[in-house]
Formats: sequence, C-alpha cells, structure tokens
Amino acid sequence: MNKYKKITLDGLIYQNPTFMLVLGTCPTLGLISSAFSAMGMGLTVVVILTLSNILISLLRKVIPNAVRIPCYIVIIATLVTFARMFLEKFVPDLYDSLGGFLALIVVNCIILGRAEAFANKHTVPEAAVDGIMQGLGFTLALTLMGVICEFFGKGSIFGFEIMQFKISMLAKPAGAFLVYGLSIAVFTYVIDCIERAKRVKANKLARENLLKEVA
Amino acid sequence: MTVKGFFKSNVFKCLATLLCVLLVSGVFLTLMNGLLAVSDQERLDRAINKIYGKSVAYTQVEVANYNDNATIDAAYRIKDDGNYLVKSTGKFGFENGTVTCWVVVNVKNGSIKGIDKVVIDSNKGQSYIGNINNNFLSGFYGNYENGYIFNPNDGFIKTGATKSATAICNAVNGAIDYVNGKFLGNVAVDIYADFELTEYIETKQSSHEIDESGNIVYTIKTKGHTMPAGFTIEVTVNAEGVITAYNLVENGSTSQTYINRMMPEILDGTLFVGKDFAGIQAIINEGITYPGDDKGTTISTGATQSNYLCIYAAAFATKNYDKILTDEVPDEGTDVEGGNE
Amino acid sequence: MGTLIAIVLAAVLTNNFITVKTYGICPFLGVSKKTSSAAGMGIAVTLVMVLATLVTYPIYTYVMVPLGIDFLEIIFFIFIIASLVQMLEKIIQKLSPSLYGAMGIYLPLITTNCAVLGVTELVIGDMSSIIGEAATMNVGWAVLYALFAGLGFTLVMVIMSGMREKLNYYKTAKALAGFPIAMVTACFICMAFTVFSYISI
Repeated sequence: MNKYKKITLDGLIYQNPTFMLVLGTCPTLGLISSAFSAMGMGLTVVVILTLSNILISLLRKVIPNAVRIPCYIVIIATLVTFARMFLEKFVPDLYDSLGGFLALIVVNCIILGRAEAFANKHTVPEAAVDGIMQGLGFTLALTLMGVICEFFGKGSIFGFEIMQFKISMLAKPAGAFLVYGLSIAVFTYVIDCIERAKRVKANKLARENLLKEVA
Repeated sequence: MTVKGFFKSNVFKCLATLLCVLLVSGVFLTLMNGLLAVSDQERLDRAINKIYGKSVAYTQVEVANYNDNATIDAAYRIKDDGNYLVKSTGKFGFENGTVTCWVVVNVKNGSIKGIDKVVIDSNKGQSYIGNINNNFLSGFYGNYENGYIFNPNDGFIKTGATKSATAICNAVNGAIDYVNGKFLGNVAVDIYADFELTEYIETKQSSHEIDESGNIVYTIKTKGHTMPAGFTIEVTVNAEGVITAYNLVENGSTSQTYINRMMPEILDGTLFVGKDFAGIQAIINEGITYPGDDKGTTISTGATQSNYLCIYAAAFATKNYDKILTDEVPDEGTDVEGGNE
Repeated sequence: MGTLIAIVLAAVLTNNFITVKTYGICPFLGVSKKTSSAAGMGIAVTLVMVLATLVTYPIYTYVMVPLGIDFLEIIFFIFIIASLVQMLEKIIQKLSPSLYGAMGIYLPLITTNCAVLGVTELVIGDMSSIIGEAATMNVGWAVLYALFAGLGFTLVMVIMSGMREKLNYYKTAKALAGFPIAMVTACFICMAFTVFSYISI
C-alpha cells in the first residue's frame, strides 16, 4: 500500500507536473484565464493520461524498444483524437473553450513523459494510479491558477460574476505567465519550508534519542 | 539474410508492432468517428438551443432585406411558440465594421410583441466588443411598442463601445424590419422617400407634425458620421421655410471633449434661427456636401463631423418644408411613424 | 497584398505564437538561457514549421479530406512531423557537419514542440482564426504564415534570452530563481507585445 501512497504524493506534490516539473506549460498558460477551461483541460488530461498509462503498461512487454516512442505517440494521438470527438459530441462548450489546445495534448510532455519514465517500467495498477494522480496534480494546479486568474482578470469564478473590479491583464497571457511563475515560487517555497521543518524535527528526535542512550 | 531470418529478426518485429498499433488505432478511430461524428444539422441545433436555453423545433425560412443598415443572414421560425430567430448583421460599427447577432423576435397574434434575446455571434473589426455585456443586450428585451426602432442613444447603458453598440442596434432593427416586412406584412413606410438631402438622415426614425400656427415641427434623427453617432434634433420651420427654433435633444457625440469643440452657435441653435435653405447652405461655403476636415470653413472646429450633421439636419428641414406643406394639407398633423420617444 | 501584410503582421506581432497564443513554451523557457542557443532553436523551429506545413497542408486538403479521413489528422500530422525531423537531422548531418553542430541538438526536441503541431493545425482551420477576416487559404498562404509565425517565435526567443543573460548578473531570491523569474520576465515581454494589439489590419 505504501507504494501507492508514494505514487499519490509524488503525483500531487513532490513531482507535481505543473509546479515541480514545469511540464505541459503551453495549455497551462493558454487556458488558465478561465477556471472552467483550465479544469476541463485538467480532467481531459487525467482521462487521457490514465488510459495511455494503462495501455502502455499493458503493451510494455510487446513493443520492441527501438520503436517504442512512435508507438507511444500513436497510442496517445489515438486517445487524443477520441477525446476530441467525444468532447465535440457531448460537451461542446468545453470543446469550444479548449480550442487548439485539445489537439496539442498529443505533444504535452506530461503524457509522453509519464509513458517513458513510469508506465513502461511498472505494472498496470501502478501505472493507472500514477496516471490518475499525475493528472489530478495537473488539474488541481490548473484549477487553482484558473480561479486566481479569472477572479482578478474577469471578476468572476467559473463564469459567475462576483465583482466589477478587474485587472484585464491577468486574463491575458501576460497575467498567466505572472501567476504561473509566482505560483511555482510559492509552491516550492512552502514545500521547502515543510521539508526543512521535517528535517529539523527528525534531527531533534535523533539527538534526543542519542542523548537518552548516552544517559 | 534469408526470408525466414527476416521474419525472425528484430526489424520485422518492430515493423509489425508499429503497423499493428497503427491499424488498431485507425480502425478504432474510424468506428468512433462513425459513432460520434457531429453533423452540420446538429451544429445548427446546438447553436439554436444554446440561444433558446432549451431544445426547440424550427423550420428555416427565406431571407430578404427590408433595412439598408443590416443584412439578414439566416432566419428560422420556431414551431413551439411562433417566434422568429433571425441571424442579422448590423452595419456601421467601429471603423465601418459589422456585428452579427442572433435575435429572437417574439411574435404573438400576428404582430411583434418584443425582443426576447440578442446574442452576439461574431464581428468584424470591433476591437471594443468586449465592453458589450449582457446588461447592455438586455436593454433590447421587453415589450415592443409598434413602430419603435432602437437607437443606441435611447437609454441604453453606456458601454465604451458606442460604435459597436450602433451596429448591434442596426442588426436588431434589421431583424425587426425583416420579420415585420416578410411575415407580418407591415413594411415600414418611408415617408421621406422622395425628399432631398436624406443621405445623413434616419428617414424611418424621423418624424414631423404641423402645429396650430402652421409651423412644421420636425424630430430629426441623423445617421452617424465616422466618429459621432446620430443626433436627435427638434427643428421648427415656419411656412416661409425659415427656421424659428432649433433644439439639440440628443448629442450623438459621446465624448465631452468633442462636444466642447462644437460650435457654440450650433449647440444652442442660434446659428440656424432666422435662416432659410440658402442661409444654411451659405454656412458651408460649397453647398451642403461634407467639406472634409481641412477645408478651413467655419465649421472646422475640431468637431467638424458633429457640426456637419447638425447643419445637415437644418438643411434637410428647410429644403423639404414645401413638400410637407403641399402633401399634408388634407389631414394636418399626422404622425405617420408613431411616437419615437 | 493586403492579405500578405495581414498575415505577416498577425504571425509576427499581433498573434505572436509565444506572447499571444502561448504555443511552444517548453523551448521558450528551456532553451533561452543563451542568445546563441535561443537563435539556433528559433531557426530550427522555423525550418521545421515551414517544412511541416508544406507537407501536411496539401496532404490534408488534397488527400485526407477527399478520402473522408480528416479525423485522423492528429496521428498523421505528428507522424509527418516526427519523420521530417528525423530526416532533417540526417540530411544536415550529412551535408553540413558544422550546421549540425550548431543546430543538431535542438532538432530532436522539436518533435514534441507544440508550436509545430500548432501551426499545422491552425492553417487547416479557417483563415479568420489567423488574421481575423475571411479569405481563402491555400498552400502559399499557409507556408507563408508558418514561416512568419516561426520568425515571430524566434524574435521572442531572442528577446527573452537577452533579458535572461542580463538577469544572470543579479541575485534573485532563492524561491524565485529558475522558472519563476523566467516567467515573470516573459510576463513583461507579453505586456510589451500587447502594444501590437492596437495594430488593426
């Protein structure tokens, strides 16, 4: 069970694709001007990443090493095309708001990266959990920044108007860069502080134990 | 390498895997495409349902044009309630661009009862269209008094996109005129059709009446020029064709800076009072044509277009007074268009 | 002529790939520490964008649409781009080893660069999404758009790398070092580029 806990924590925090690894930046910057499209993009990536991880993990013994990258690309492209058809048919609002970034999920480094770094070395359940958690890490980060950008940039959250005051710049790419950059800084700073506190606590505990033993 | 060797080699394995993956993907996607393809009809249904907020049955109806300020792109009759959904493109927006709107025209018992909804579909060159919000568009909704034609100056909230708002008004008016003319048989009569100097006059929105002393009281709405939107002006002309009163009701210039630059004699009307057509003509040295910004005439004050529209309205009033007097002797004081305000 | 100017202005300034469309951000942040490498990457991306559009646009318009398999565009395009990049790498290696030394290391990175797939997907859409008005798209315009979009990309890459080189002389707060300060820099470039949105074509 510990294994899954580690995968979960890695996906959500320690190897968060958006804040720690800074992957998948194009859709992030392009879509966080609206919380709805940011979350929609995140959830689409969750589904595609999970499916691609499962498929690649299933096929990891079948696909020869030399052609693995082209095979992964075909699998991912198929999933993306399928997602595109599905969204256009059933969720046209989201399809419209994602625009060109939907097709660009194919070249999203998170998906190919997880296939290469994780799915082709691990069992199917592990790969599936990894896909979900990495995807959720991406979704949470995007939604968080989407809410910030939309609130200050458009005065609304998920399309519900809250205030008249707005700084339009934050709903444009310039604001997306600013919010993304500062979010990374805050996130890594907080994680750093927590880690340091943990280390200090561990050191203290070790010293006390040592003192006890000596005594 | 023998044939058998090739089939056992890694190269074959690689190729075969790649081809298999491609084939499976292709077949899967073809199947899914068959299942999930979105037809054009579905796209249209979707657009219409989105505007209506519920799914409705509709039939497409033939388009026609009854208004020069707008083009009707498509129109649908909604079966459930008999309303019309009109896709109308309004002209004369920002930098002469256009705005295309979906307009729901509410029809009850053979006449238009109101505008239920206006949704902006697309625009050309309207940089400030983002300033048009739902509060502005809801200004169109509600009951329609017969003869009412929307004008961006009429109590709409200020948006900071006056010219785009004008184009939207034109689109809505176009839709109303189209439904009226095509389906309800109420073609708006243009009483000023054979009048002279109507180039800058909104003839369908202007009106006049004759008061008890025989003076003609016009309520003239001008068209917009490049910068200012239309003006509303009350001009009184006596039986000799001389202006006796000139009253600027609604200034089409939305910027106080430009209003301040207009000739003060135009703002208070003293420039026109006591003048007949020849006198008005003399204000612009070369007749009533627009002099351009750099001709050095008295009206080039930094708000030439606004000045010009005001002078043009006065010229229209004095040029045509005798037509009204000869036309309207039998029944005086009719107001064909119905009250505008 | 009007369309030509509109395409050039839209591709380079008003709809710049990085500052407005936010395509191709990975190399923009990853390979912009030195001006020479940023320029190399920009030129390589431009080259691949032009070649990819030259191949994908006719294939899409004259083969895939008539056959009714246009829904397979993503698979086809990504495959074409990947093979093009591979071929280009081999050709450059053979013809000009010095050029390969300068550009070769960037080429493999380009396959997963969304600017390339982005431009091939954009040009098969309608023209109004590119220059804001309806006009007929053809191979010539598509390739021209790809070329200038690539040059616009290179322009912003070079500006960014210049700013980051200067930034090296200053000490930044620890939490801001690396990506965050790069993104704040990018924010300023984007803001500067909003000036061009006042150009109306």
